[in-house]
Amino acid sequence: MSIGFAPLVPIPLIWAMVVIAVIVAGFALWRGLAGWALRGLALAVLAFGLAGPEWLRADRRALDDIVIILDDRSASQELGERKAQTDAALTHLEGRINAMPGMALRRVTLGDDPDGTRLAHALNRAIAAEPEARLAGIVLLSDGQIHDGDALPDTVPAPLHLLLSGEPDDWDRRLVIEEAPGYGLIGEAVEIILRVEDQGVVPPEVAGQAGLQVNIDGGAEGHVTIPTGVSFRLPVTPRHGGANVVSLRLDPPGGQPPQLTPRNDAAALTIMGVRDRLQVLLVSGEPHAGLRSWRNLLKSDASVDLIHFTILRPPEKFDGVPADELSLIAFPVDELFTRRIDDFDLIIFDRYRVRGILPPVYFDNIRRYVEQGGAVLVSSGPEAVGIEGLSMTPLGAILPARPTGGLIEEAFRPELSALGKRHPVTASLPGAGSDGAEPRWGPWLRLIEAEVRPGGQVVLEGLGKPLLILDRVGEGRVAQLMSDQVWLWGHDLAGGGPQRELLRRIAHWAMGEPELEEEALEIAIVAGDAGTMLHINRHTLADGVGPARITAPDGTAVEVTLTPDRPGLFTGQAPAPEDGLYRVEQDGLSRLVAVGPAAPREFEETVASPDLLAPLVEASGGGILHLADGLPELRRIRGGAAHGRGVAGPWLGLVERGAETVTGMRAQPLLPAAGWLIVLAALMLGAWLIEGRGRIWPAYRR
Amino acid sequence: MRRTNAPTRRAILAGLTGYLVGSAGPRAQDRGAAVGAGFDDEDIDPQLIAAAGQFALAHVLTGDADVDAVARAGLHGLSMQLAARTTVEPGPVLGIDLDHDDIAPLSVLYWPVGDAQAPPSARAYLMLDRWLRNGGLLVVDTRDADVAGLLPQSAQGGPASRLLAPLDIPPLAPVPADHVLRRSYYLLDSFPGRYDAGTVWVEAAPENTGHPLGGARNDGVTPVIIGGNSWAEAWAVDESGLPLHALGVGFEAGHQRELAYRFGINLVMLALTGNYKSDQVHVQAILDRLGQQEAAP
Repeated sequence: MSIGFAPLVPIPLIWAMVVIAVIVAGFALWRGLAGWALRGLALAVLAFGLAGPEWLRADRRALDDIVIILDDRSASQELGERKAQTDAALTHLEGRINAMPGMALRRVTLGDDPDGTRLAHALNRAIAAEPEARLAGIVLLSDGQIHDGDALPDTVPAPLHLLLSGEPDDWDRRLVIEEAPGYGLIGEAVEIILRVEDQGVVPPEVAGQAGLQVNIDGGAEGHVTIPTGVSFRLPVTPRHGGANVVSLRLDPPGGQPPQLTPRNDAAALTIMGVRDRLQVLLVSGEPHAGLRSWRNLLKSDASVDLIHFTILRPPEKFDGVPADELSLIAFPVDELFTRRIDDFDLIIFDRYRVRGILPPVYFDNIRRYVEQGGAVLVSSGPEAVGIEGLSMTPLGAILPARPTGGLIEEAFRPELSALGKRHPVTASLPGAGSDGAEPRWGPWLRLIEAEVRPGGQVVLEGLGKPLLILDRVGEGRVAQLMSDQVWLWGHDLAGGGPQRELLRRIAHWAMGEPELEEEALEIAIVAGDAGTMLHINRHTLADGVGPARITAPDGTAVEVTLTPDRPGLFTGQAPAPEDGLYRVEQDGLSRLVAVGPAAPREFEETVASPDLLAPLVEASGGGILHLADGLPELRRIRGGAAHGRGVAGPWLGLVERGAETVTGMRAQPLLPAAGWLIVLAALMLGAWLIEGRGRIWPAYRR
Repeated sequence: MRRTNAPTRRAILAGLTGYLVGSAGPRAQDRGAAVGAGFDDEDIDPQLIAAAGQFALAHVLTGDADVDAVARAGLHGLSMQLAARTTVEPGPVLGIDLDHDDIAPLSVLYWPVGDAQAPPSARAYLMLDRWLRNGGLLVVDTRDADVAGLLPQSAQGGPASRLLAPLDIPPLAPVPADHVLRRSYYLLDSFPGRYDAGTVWVEAAPENTGHPLGGARNDGVTPVIIGGNSWAEAWAVDESGLPLHALGVGFEAGHQRELAYRFGINLVMLALTGNYKSDQVHVQAILDRLGQQEAAP
């Protein structure tokens, strides 16, 4: 309650009146007027009354205290019993708070975010939205695994209580990739540094070591047992150019209780295989017109080291020119075919004629080289039909075509065989006419007749006879071209043809380039309007393929029918709604792809822990309780400890803030105008009586 | 190749029309038209098949009967020497009419130029250009080294420059001391023919590389060799294999003919193997890079 003024006349006038009153009263005192005090007082009352004094009275109302409940509903809160725990805790708290008079409840629900659990941001927003003076307390329902800890405030204006979900014996094992190389030389091991991390209370029977399955490109599984908790160097060897997908998966650890989730137990890494310079050995039986085509092709390829030998002079010819006038050197056969043969990625025999230069033992060695993973390409000329042909050597046993002795010397156009239209080496060669257009390849003029052994893949034909035959021998590959005239394409005879491209593809197929594999399963991840899709490309030589089976990160599997796209290619697609590792299997081929991170951030750390939030909780005076220990009571407190343990169990305090609001203001004059008049009149009358003859006040008598 | 029959000519002409058009699309169509849906034996000259199947030396028919006869005899002589000494065993010599014959199957073409020859057609030049780009080797013999001392010492003067001007020939330079032509089979200091006086010109090495054959096109192998030593006359033999032309007297004469044959063999080896013998220099380094230290034989 307070007093205000509502002046009836301007304030200066009132002040003037006060001054006059003081002067008049002073003069009256000096002159000895008996009623000076009453007269001065009357003037003062007049001035005060004119100033319009009034009582001011405010209307007030008490406000509810606010409690914020922030429940974390991110994916890690779905693990185990956490969802039920959280639901139960929420119902309990809501009931208690609603039963308290003068309490208002604010609920904030936190969902998944690509960056994990962004609890700090949600907390800051919720606090900023409420008046500080009314905040009685904040309750967090979470597993404590938040991913924006940097954004946590230093303190909050009310006790912050953390109710942790999860069981005390929760544990989880996870795979952590500490370091993975992006690139690696083909055939040389690179090291992936990884660690198996156990969190929580690990059952003793499974602690200490973990089994790890290693798989490259969906091939055979390797298995290693590694100790947990320490960095482990895992050597991995890229086998081919391009993407080598290494998938790592921990064995299910078992133990009781089981670990929280297997979703952080796997990882897929892509290591781009790059070739060191390819070592290609080209052996020409004699200089001929097509030899420079090989040289131009191989020497213009920056990734190839070409080692070329041509027999310029056969042993039986001798012109008597002294050696120091000749630019010839001996063919280092032993060097090439015994000691260094395994260093070559590809050996090309170009019109090679057996002249007694290479003893059979060397051909045996070349055969062994192929069977152990080497590659040989044979381009046959007219020598192939004679007894000096390569098919008469021990190498002939692994060549896919054997000359019958026929030599056709006439113009013919090489054509794709039915298989060749599907085979990646020859399919989509420009000008082949495989896309319905008129074939426009130029002619070749010589063909070695040959019969193909079982297993040989005829991809090019001339005059209906096999022209280019591909085959696999042991771990190696062999390609055989039954003509030496591919160079005519390079010389543009009657239009020419894709000589370089064909030779390049044959050579790269022989060296196992993945894009030229006959049976291949490729998965591309495409983000589109309809969400992330897996595009499945299945290259095959078969007429049809079965459905692809796609296993999502959560273990559910769907089958996708693959439809023909073009000869040799079947395609299909499937949605990939969530992040994680997808396994695509089809006809025994298997590919693993990672959509987003292999383990979403939510599943990196799963065991409930108060550590991240503890400093803030402590600073705010709140308490940390485990839901597994039971549900807490709530108490109103006015100060002191904000949490504690009562007879029935733990309790959490909510501060009574006692906030009020002013709803209105009322003003009441101190005295009504008539009242002022009476007071004034009384004072004046009093003065007059004192001064007058009536002498009411004997003391004033004179 | 002289007796080119009519269908082949039509086919070649149609194909060449394609070259003139220039852009890829129409040219491809013309090729299709020229080649047709298949090949009959009559469509392709049997000599072409032979030339493609077995390496053969060829010379340009100049229209001067004497020059053509000498060229033929010379290439025949060189073919016999190749067959006797090397793994290259050429077939019969071909005479090429640039206006009518397709030179795509050839690897090396000998062109004895003279004042009498009329320039070939524009189509022939286009075909030659294309052939050189695809790795052909054109050997131009001005046959004037005996008198060249009286004339400007340059291959750019005289009938050769008149006939070669329309061709897209790179800048030329005298054969460098380390050029592969000097060691593609024999080690050579000079390139004598009937004369041993003229400068022989090859594609100039690009300035920026230290290598004499640093050009990227065709692995840097020179597309032309131009000289005036009248090599065909030194190589020429008659039916019985005896030399047709005298080269000085005595031992010197025989030695010069031997050197001329050695040059011819180097020439053919250059055409067929490119700068293989430059490789050979690097083989040791490459073998060493394979991780082994022992010397190659």
